[in-house]
Amino acid sequence: MKLHEKILTHFLSCTSPVDKEGYLYKKKERNATYHRRWFVLKANLLFYQERPADRHLLGVIVLEGCTVQMLDSDGFFPFALQFGSGLKTYRFAAGDAQTQGRWVKALFLASHCYLSNLVRDLGRQYEEAKQQQDSTNSCSSFKSLSSPTNSLLVPALLPLSLVREGRSFSASDALPPPSMPTKMAAKKSPKKWPRRNAHVTPLNGPAPLYGEWPLVGSDPLVEFSKLHDFYGQEVQKAREEWLRSRQTEREQREKALIDLG
Amino acid sequence: MRFNEKELVCLSRQPSEMAAELGMRGPKKGDVVKRRLVKLVVNFLFYFRTDEEEPIGALLLEQCRVEREDSQTFSIAFLDEAERKYLFECDSEEQCKEWIDSIIKASYEFMRKNLIFYRMEIHRLTGKDPLEQYGISDETRFQVNSGSHFMARDTSSL
Repeated sequence: MKLHEKILTHFLSCTSPVDKEGYLYKKKERNATYHRRWFVLKANLLFYQERPADRHLLGVIVLEGCTVQMLDSDGFFPFALQFGSGLKTYRFAAGDAQTQGRWVKALFLASHCYLSNLVRDLGRQYEEAKQQQDSTNSCSSFKSLSSPTNSLLVPALLPLSLVREGRSFSASDALPPPSMPTKMAAKKSPKKWPRRNAHVTPLNGPAPLYGEWPLVGSDPLVEFSKLHDFYGQEVQKAREEWLRSRQTEREQREKALIDLG
Repeated sequence: MRFNEKELVCLSRQPSEMAAELGMRGPKKGDVVKRRLVKLVVNFLFYFRTDEEEPIGALLLEQCRVEREDSQTFSIAFLDEAERKYLFECDSEEQCKEWIDSIIKASYEFMRKNLIFYRMEIHRLTGKDPLEQYGISDETRFQVNSGSHFMARDTSSL
């Protein structure tokens, strides 16, 4: 299979963030010797070369479908990336425990899968937080939403000192598939919900996929401020509607007063 | 450059919501349209000959520009080379839109920006950092200014 290398090397050298870099020892599969290499972790890709200044890349490891294993050894700080059965295990060693711990953590968090689950979870928390704010603003009397959702992302990493017995971590283990909290919507009285626009993100669903984001295809950075404004507008509209309804109520009440003057 | 080919082929076999037979044309002059099974898995676009199990190739969907070419065709340009585009012919306008949207959202960088947005907003609305409970608030990859290159370089360890 052809991996279009130029695309990868371009990605490596472009301005998107480097998530971690540094020297590590990498075990050569054939002769079981360790060689010092310069590693650069970017998104879900682990690049390696001989030295930081080198233009020539030795290789890249795509970090999907692997577990990160912290291994224990005296005076030696190994760890491994293990892909499934029949697939490779990459072995590394750091110079000290702190470096070892940091790399293990960084690699664990690196997968697209992990980030995707995290974004979905935060998206849900965001919608809940907005709802809470809306309900506070409109002074509704219904109960606030049930206690915060149990985090769907079990804290996957124990304090590193507890982790030294060959434990392995897999992003897929740590993140149980998010369940749709559809029951939450049922708790609120439908009358008190602002009328929902078909194009607005469903409040209790996972991060919207195709067709649900109000803005598609534009520059992501611009998109976020637009998204923010978009949702802000909705809150603003709800507020105005409520103020208007209060005003009408007040006027009606005043009309009903008998003029004794 | 070495890469974990077997593992990547394995990844290409994972289930995907976006997998379809499309007309695909390479970026070089003289490349013609060929029917390929195109499959989006994480931030990679794999393409297969329609009856084969192993993909012909894998395209990393980062730093690329996805554009609508006409009602049923979209293109992906890499390496800031606007003229060198891969073209994909879909069967309908809707399918074309769906692919463009999915590819944009599959990018790791797009997702990272989403994450930072949510993190900041949740903090603004609730006063809490949502990443604290997972013990990952200090990770460089989730920082707001993660474009900065003033990162700790672990040269001291070895």
